[in-house]
Amino acid sequence: MSAETTYASTHSVWRLVAAREVAVKLRDRNFLVSTALMLVLVVAAIGIQFAFAGHTKTQHIAVQGSAGSSIVVSASGMAKSADAKLALKPVRASSAKDLERRVTSGAVDAGLLRAGDGWRLVGKSSRNTELATYLGQAVQQDAVRRNAAAAGTTLADLQHGAELTYDLLRPSGEDEGAARAGGIVFGMLFYLAALLFGMAIANSVVEEKQNRIVEIIASAIPLRQLLIGKIVGNTVLALGQVVLLSLVGVAGLLVTDNADLLGQLAPGIGWFVPFFLVGFLALAALWAVVGALATRSEDVQSTSAPMTALVAIVFFGGILSSGVLQAVLSFVPIFSTIAMPARILSGDTAWWEPGVSLLIALAGAYGILRVAERMYRRALLQTSHKMSIRQALRAEAE
Amino acid sequence: MLQVADLTRRFGEAVAVDAVSFEVPDGQLVGFVGGNGAGKTTTMRMIMGVLAPSAGHVRWDEREITDQDRREFGYMPEERGLYPKQPVIDQLVYLAQLHGVSRSDARSRASELLTRFDLGDRAKDKLETLSLGNQQRVQVMAAVITRPKMLVLDEPFSGLDPTAVDDMVALLREFTATGVPVLFSSHQLDLVERLCDRIVILSRGRLVAGGAAEELRRSGPVRHRLVTGTDAGWVRDLDWLRTVDVAGNTAIVQLAAPSDTDRLLAEAMRRGTVRELAELVPSVADIYREVTAQ
Repeated sequence: MSAETTYASTHSVWRLVAAREVAVKLRDRNFLVSTALMLVLVVAAIGIQFAFAGHTKTQHIAVQGSAGSSIVVSASGMAKSADAKLALKPVRASSAKDLERRVTSGAVDAGLLRAGDGWRLVGKSSRNTELATYLGQAVQQDAVRRNAAAAGTTLADLQHGAELTYDLLRPSGEDEGAARAGGIVFGMLFYLAALLFGMAIANSVVEEKQNRIVEIIASAIPLRQLLIGKIVGNTVLALGQVVLLSLVGVAGLLVTDNADLLGQLAPGIGWFVPFFLVGFLALAALWAVVGALATRSEDVQSTSAPMTALVAIVFFGGILSSGVLQAVLSFVPIFSTIAMPARILSGDTAWWEPGVSLLIALAGAYGILRVAERMYRRALLQTSHKMSIRQALRAEAE
Repeated sequence: MLQVADLTRRFGEAVAVDAVSFEVPDGQLVGFVGGNGAGKTTTMRMIMGVLAPSAGHVRWDEREITDQDRREFGYMPEERGLYPKQPVIDQLVYLAQLHGVSRSDARSRASELLTRFDLGDRAKDKLETLSLGNQQRVQVMAAVITRPKMLVLDEPFSGLDPTAVDDMVALLREFTATGVPVLFSSHQLDLVERLCDRIVILSRGRLVAGGAAEELRRSGPVRHRLVTGTDAGWVRDLDWLRTVDVAGNTAIVQLAAPSDTDRLLAEAMRRGTVRELAELVPSVADIYREVTAQ
């Protein structure tokens, strides 16, 4: 029994604890299933969006000659440059009769015929305004070009000085919806992670307490190391899950041709990650306290009630508030996790605000960690009865 | 050697442990005996640093104990469980690593222990799938896998079948043989008597008896049983001894000095036949009943 044992210092033992937390979780079926489920939800949400609003509709237009074809092609080009989800394809018909027969049978969506000097668009039973608009523009442009040539001038000359550009000095409008949706998505991610991983932390703390394994651990390493390990392990897991979901979301935006929306969300995402990290650290420490207050896993339901309420308030406060309230919340630790990225997305923050808010959040998280550590230590080894928050706060009272 | 000096723990008004002092010398097995609520678990938790004492000291090798010392102790707390949903070998390795054992060493030691306790084929099973007795064995392994320099075991034998008790005893003896002090608590007084070099008895937070087992048993007045051929009632008339009990031809007496044994034998032989004269050494259970009844 006298083998040489290397008694390393206890300063980095938290790594062992964190590694165990991660390893256990990665083998936990519930965790894997819930992660997979969330991924499925993200993919499904993107898929639905794509199916309803995303993709371009192709309409087939029957034409008789090459002049008709080129008008349809140029109309299709105009639709595309106007961002309309419409593409037009010419289909050659052998005669006017054949053309009308094709329209009536539904083989094509419409037909374009010569009518004297002009053109005639035929449809089956109802008019398609979008189709008429772009084909109309194409016809008009074609006619003007030909008339200009006949008059010895060019289309460009005729259109000279007729340009109108449209710039926004303070762009908002349409983009506001995207910003708001982005804020809700960030908020939701944080809310879910804070709740799911928070509960997991509380349960893993009370499990150790209930089984008295914490006494074995407490005699081997400082409890601070145990707490740090737990928080780090679960933060890594939560962040990993959020990053995974975000990657799938970003990939979805790219696949569905929403790259410009991504460009708008990028700064928000960039700031969301550090805010998430700091906010989650603070909440994780509090969740550990909630677990330590209980003596059996059944108690966690009641000791965690204040935390579930807090997380919900942070979530709804972050996404529903606006104006001054939102500005204030965006500087309050934990609340800023959701409120600040939401403000960044809507573009109404000064350059210094996110940084200052993050520093305040960091300071807040540090304070919370210190208090939580005291409460955790005090409550963890008190096994005889469930403790109240007040009792745990009166540290070193005995 | 572990020394406990005037160790005291108060919970509010209640005194759970009241100025308890005893020692666990190197290589000795010390039994910690007492009823429920006597303060055994509280004392052990203070020794392990899990609970801060209200007063008093715990010393290791003649100096105040440190966290580093405790890190090299093996400890088995009162309630069992470890991590129910983690594979057996994983948690043994984890606990050993927390104590500073390298991962590869921890793995080989865990396999060794599992094989020794006939659980080699269950290494990868979740702890909760094992029978209670086997979970208990894993708990013991968790306490010894670090090859501790001191063992503190709270009720290590509860829930073990006789074979497991023997395995456990053999294991503890291996430790004491190399000089490791072992302190364990138990309700099974016969077991404590059979195993222990020293016994510490607590009652309502106070130490009521303590010392080497043999010494303790002989510390009280020594009694003798005399069985004669006829009625033994005549012993009541002797003024140099105390008669504890007489029933027919059997008398239990308490002698003032060991030399009185010969005198009693001579007296009895003078009065008739003597079938038996035997010294009655009290069992630990007797001592326990006597000291805790006070």
